[in-house]
Amino acid sequence: MNATDDDTPLDPAAMLALSDRQQHRVSTTFVRPVVTILLVWGVAWLVGFMALWLALEPNAPFSPPIAVAGTGFGILIAGAIVVSIVIGSRMSRGIRGSAVFSGAVYGWSWSIASFSVFLIGQALINAGMPTELSMLYYPTMYGLVAGLLYLAGAALWNDRTQLFLGIWIIVVSVASSFAGTPTNLLIMALLGGGGFLAGTAAVLIQTQASRRG
Amino acid sequence: MAELDPVIHAQARLRIMATLATLDADGSIAFPRLQELLEMTAGNLSTHLRKLEDAGYVAQDKSFKGRTPVTYVYSTKQGRRAFEDYMDQLRELLGGTP
Repeated sequence: MNATDDDTPLDPAAMLALSDRQQHRVSTTFVRPVVTILLVWGVAWLVGFMALWLALEPNAPFSPPIAVAGTGFGILIAGAIVVSIVIGSRMSRGIRGSAVFSGAVYGWSWSIASFSVFLIGQALINAGMPTELSMLYYPTMYGLVAGLLYLAGAALWNDRTQLFLGIWIIVVSVASSFAGTPTNLLIMALLGGGGFLAGTAAVLIQTQASRRG
Repeated sequence: MAELDPVIHAQARLRIMATLATLDADGSIAFPRLQELLEMTAGNLSTHLRKLEDAGYVAQDKSFKGRTPVTYVYSTKQGRRAFEDYMDQLRELLGGTP
């Protein structure tokens, strides 16, 4: 029998610590899946944008065909969206209440927003936007939307990691659009993808620290 | 000073109340998920939940997910208040010590 399953009380200080520790453990359990989501996005951006940059940069060490890079990018981003939605919906499994509604709305916001960016891009291309401009439009708008959704996540779950990440992704996305194509793709890969990976590390360090504490 | 609420002043039941307090006011949690968060055996958790239920601090709500019955556990308004009072009392007791 576990000591904490006990029917007996401890002294007040130990009881207070026991309650705090339990509540901390509950919140850590809900934060841990976020690590997987951030990791998936970090890899998708790093590899996806890097492939696009390699395909378009004339001085790149090697260049995959643009069709391969474009398809690979699409698959990586679609995969990351699916993983986010699946993990997001599993986070609140076994729990009922208004938080579940917030989580579901948040999950769907990703799909609605990403698909809208894609559709507006198609409309702009139909209206005569050249390929070079579309290479500026898609990464920047996509990054802006992702950053805004992280800010929404920060507000919903009172989470600072998502707040910093949201601001960082927006800054990188906006700044990259001034760099021109294809350098903006390299910036998105290294600073955008790298930002997600740094966020992963930050959450991991937080949860490790709470396990020791 | 009033005595600490004996229903909550036991390690297992304090952990249960602390966990339920993290849910939304209208929130509830499935029994297996609660068991997972507390790392308690089903029998042990049931025993303590019954004591909390008898005091009116916790309520259970049985529903169906498809054909499987699922029990959802939540803290009553009275239970939330009792938990907050208990925590306030603990802090008051510790107020003198650094």
